[in-house]
Amino acid sequence: MKPTPHEKKQWFDFLPGAISKDGFLGNDRRQIHDIVQDDERHLEYLGLNREAIADRLQYFIESGKKGLEKNVDLGDYTVQVRWSRGMQPCPFGERGLHHKLVAYVKHKSSGRELRFTQLNVHMIREHGFFEGSGSTFRMEPEILQVFMT
Amino acid sequence: MIHQIILTVAAVTAINVVLAVLLVIAERYLADFGECTLTVNDQKKLDVKGGSTLLATLSREKIFLPSACGGRGTCAYCKCRIQSGAGPLLPTEIPLLSSEEIENQVRLACQVKVKQDMAITIPEELFAIQEFRASVKEIRRLTHDIKLLRLSLLDPGEISFKSGQYIQLKSQPYADIRERVSRAYSISSPNHVKNAIDLIVRLVPEGICTTWVHEYLREGETVSFVGPMGDFFLRDGRGEIIMVAGGSGMAPMVSILHEMIHTNNERKVTYFFGAVTRRDLFYLDEMNAFRQKLPNFKFIPALSEPLPEDSWDGETGLITEILGKYLKGKDTSDMQGYLCGSPGMIQASIQVMKEHHIEGDRIFFDPFA
Repeated sequence: MKPTPHEKKQWFDFLPGAISKDGFLGNDRRQIHDIVQDDERHLEYLGLNREAIADRLQYFIESGKKGLEKNVDLGDYTVQVRWSRGMQPCPFGERGLHHKLVAYVKHKSSGRELRFTQLNVHMIREHGFFEGSGSTFRMEPEILQVFMT
Repeated sequence: MIHQIILTVAAVTAINVVLAVLLVIAERYLADFGECTLTVNDQKKLDVKGGSTLLATLSREKIFLPSACGGRGTCAYCKCRIQSGAGPLLPTEIPLLSSEEIENQVRLACQVKVKQDMAITIPEELFAIQEFRASVKEIRRLTHDIKLLRLSLLDPGEISFKSGQYIQLKSQPYADIRERVSRAYSISSPNHVKNAIDLIVRLVPEGICTTWVHEYLREGETVSFVGPMGDFFLRDGRGEIIMVAGGSGMAPMVSILHEMIHTNNERKVTYFFGAVTRRDLFYLDEMNAFRQKLPNFKFIPALSEPLPEDSWDGETGLITEILGKYLKGKDTSDMQGYLCGSPGMIQASIQVMKEHHIEGDRIFFDPFA
């Protein structure tokens, strides 16, 4: 499907170097709304919804912040948040800035690891965007499922 | 039939070409705002070409307003007062301005375009901000993710700054990155050294500028930066100075300590530096040297998660816990707090300081945190 006029205007901000070093699309050739729609269908199939995922990721961030970069033990998980100075805008173009922080979450029993930014949480909650395939912070719904309980 | 189709396609193409030409002509002539006069602080008059944003226009006139987002209208650092000529408030500005600022004619310089004569007010200290070219004299690894960047100034050849201030370094295109970005870094060198500056740069995951510094920038190359900026500097006072930093937050503290040596300032300084493991600590020799030269200086590094191989026998725990333990029961009425590091550390340290009655007007930290 063709890009929407809004996507055309915002396209640059999704590319490497505009907002983040590697951009948000990876090697994905699909249009942004196609990536969002495909993930939405996938989430529905898995019985997940984006608000619940965003809430869960934000919980990890808020818990991890308390450690000031030290690992915080959350029972089944450990989380470490690395919070850098500076802010990031959202590539979808609305107002507001997001703290530059990266959360590293480890599910102890499975050994699965998740890495995401505050901007990821915003993009999932507001736009249903989990980033393109092969992108540095792409989060696959199947992997997210492990971290939901 | 075919003849008709060809004629229709040709007609549509011709109309499109005419419209495109008209658009180009309109942009060239109708959107030409000609020369406009910017009156700055009721004194300085600048004749400028209209059509660009106020931020870009001022930059061409070598007046640099702070900006961390490259003019995207998201950081709101480029606020200035525009008394006349700004036009109506834009939807892109409204979320970033308080009602008081709107009432006081404060606008975002990156959003407002210069289309007519304009009268603006900007803080006097911004006139001291210059654009510099510098040669990379040295890049030295300080920890696994922190590097020292020493810049030798080329043009202008000297800089005047207050210890604790920062500059905005401009990156160069590299790999897939085509655009230059500006990022703020505190100066760590002494302010009496005028022909060079040191920066301490920590690698940010996915950071555009820090990756350039860490992986692409080489000694001998030429870089540019704008500065000095910021109002994080040592205030007058007689009470104890409490410094709290982590990671590259070391930079302004080192500069302030150098200044204290240079000016024979004998105030008591207690410096808390937080790290996770031993490999995150650096400048321990420099801290020992400060201890030799500043009679009332104490450096307290703390590790929050020391490894067995660290053989650490110093303070252990979150830096805020160590700070709280130190402040407990002390008379803090004339203490000043200086903070630099991650926003999380700063927020938590402010809370601890306030719990121990160091009020907000005696706590200072980097504005870009």
